[in-house]
Amino acid sequence: MMESWLIDLLLAALRAATPLIFCALGILMAERAGVLHIGVEGVMLAGALAAIMGTVLGANPWAGILSTMAAGIIAGIILAFISVLLPTDQVVIGIAFNLFSLGVTSFIFRILAKQLQVLIPAIPPLLFGLSPFALVAIVITLAMWWFLFRTGPGLKLRSVGENTHAAHASGINVVYLRFAVLIIASVLAAMGGAALTMGWVRNFADNVTLGRGFIALAAVYFGRWNPLLAMGACFIFGVGEALAFRGQATGAGLNPHYFLMVPYILTLLVVGIAGQARGPRDAGKPYLRR
Amino acid sequence: MEGSNKGVVPLQNGLEITKSQKYYSIQWLWQSQVGISILSLILSLILLLSMSLISGAQPFAVLASLFEGAFKGKHSIVSTIKETAIISLAGLAVLIPIRAGFFNIGGQGQIEIGALTAVIVASNLQGSPAVVITAALIAAMAGGALTVVVPLFLKIKRGASEVTTTIMMNLACIELVSAMITGVLKDPSAFYGTTRVIPEANRLPFFPQDLGVHIGVWITLIIALIAYWVMKRTVFGIYLKAVGSNREAAKASGIFMNQVLGVAVLAGAALAGLAGGIQAMGVTYKVAEGWSKTWGFTGIPVAFLGGNSLGVIPVAFLLAILETGARHMQAMTGVPSALVYVFQGIPVLLFVCLSAMRLLHKKTSGA
Repeated sequence: MMESWLIDLLLAALRAATPLIFCALGILMAERAGVLHIGVEGVMLAGALAAIMGTVLGANPWAGILSTMAAGIIAGIILAFISVLLPTDQVVIGIAFNLFSLGVTSFIFRILAKQLQVLIPAIPPLLFGLSPFALVAIVITLAMWWFLFRTGPGLKLRSVGENTHAAHASGINVVYLRFAVLIIASVLAAMGGAALTMGWVRNFADNVTLGRGFIALAAVYFGRWNPLLAMGACFIFGVGEALAFRGQATGAGLNPHYFLMVPYILTLLVVGIAGQARGPRDAGKPYLRR
Repeated sequence: MEGSNKGVVPLQNGLEITKSQKYYSIQWLWQSQVGISILSLILSLILLLSMSLISGAQPFAVLASLFEGAFKGKHSIVSTIKETAIISLAGLAVLIPIRAGFFNIGGQGQIEIGALTAVIVASNLQGSPAVVITAALIAAMAGGALTVVVPLFLKIKRGASEVTTTIMMNLACIELVSAMITGVLKDPSAFYGTTRVIPEANRLPFFPQDLGVHIGVWITLIIALIAYWVMKRTVFGIYLKAVGSNREAAKASGIFMNQVLGVAVLAGAALAGLAGGIQAMGVTYKVAEGWSKTWGFTGIPVAFLGGNSLGVIPVAFLLAILETGARHMQAMTGVPSALVYVFQGIPVLLFVCLSAMRLLHKKTSGA
């Protein structure tokens, strides 16, 4: 009895953590290459809408995945153009991009409201009751760790984030690398959105991500820019969210809105504990060729 | 963000005199902060109208219906003016902290909490209306300021970025307000979550009695003027600029950085709370489910494109036209009113891009 309850909770936690893990990996990769990826919430939202659009209009989950990737690539190109090619404040760009994406996704959702207001079919679990998204998230996390810390290109990527000009002097094309990394990171974040809508809630609503991109940001800081630790941090948030849902379902006489506050309060606590985490040194500084 | 670069660019006098007037005005658009603001607003408006083409509407019909919705009849004009006041305050709530290098994205939560505290005070405090209204507005400011204390503390003591923390406070505050209006503070006779309506006597009075413009609008105007004066003409304004633009230099010259930062951030959040209080006491008279628009986020483009405390007002006016005209536009042309929310992000993106392009242009042209 107790055990099955625990397993249920852990599965629910992993399901809630999966979108966060995808986003956290995107943020982490971009910041290791020296680009602050605050726009992740907006990319996630675009991916979430694209996943539902693809699944419904293409009548096939694979179409959903494809259109999510396309949305991620488009968002990545926009973000990369603005924050890599131009010397801009990456925090401001990220926030503005989130607002832009919120507006555009709501607009498109309204236009296609008739077709899109349906529950898409659930994706069956693949292994031990884990959804394919969760499995892919875990595999990509391990692959990301191996890539960043055990391969040559990973070392180059990290060197760009630590000291841009030294990396440039050693012959790395900083602009090219950051452009590519930001596109990959945005595809990952968009997949996070797909994991949320396709893999979990099964429909789209305005602002369906509800700050999850920012929770993933906190997870990256808490995880010290290490993929494995960041995944652990995401899992902690997932447990918080799963508990909030449990509490909401069982009621316990409390207003459900108090339980919905749990993930956000937890994030504040985690940010407080993580404190002055030292990230990649040149993250957030626009790169101008000298 | 980067301070105005007046006088840094050599004017290339000999060249400019020979150019035509038209060229000169393009130069001006490109070279001044105000010009870039105007340019990005115009470009975003064009983008907005071309997006309306997607849903099969005539762009000119869309534009016309937006303006009609905002200006046709006394009632629409008054609500556009009231909306301008709220958006201006939301803009100031972003602008003042950003001068000190703190990006306050928590405006929405501060507005909600401010509105709720104002409603609580206005419906429960006994006394003469003047006292109650003043107390309620002060309570709204205190409520707004209180919500930013945690992010501020985490920023100063733990070095945590305010971007994550203010967003988290936003979402937590919205849930808290929802919990309150569906729980403890719920009007027992209503079928949905809402507070009781504020008693008639304790609502914001109209100032020109027959016009229907409440005093909150005048309060906003006065606050914008004061903020402008403080930032331009006082020592605190200079400190603010110093802390925001160069922390090292500010520290070296003996400015108490954390105090300056704290005052600016608390003042900004208090203004957001006041915006909520004014809206609740002057327009809606209660806080209910879905009572608010996303003013907190509308404040971001207002702060960036406005540039200073007075410039905030015209930009807020433009955005207020879009917000009040949106419903009429949807009714007349069938374009979803969500279209105007595209306008929250695009102008800032364009503004930052154009500023950066100008910077690059200056560098490469060897200024």
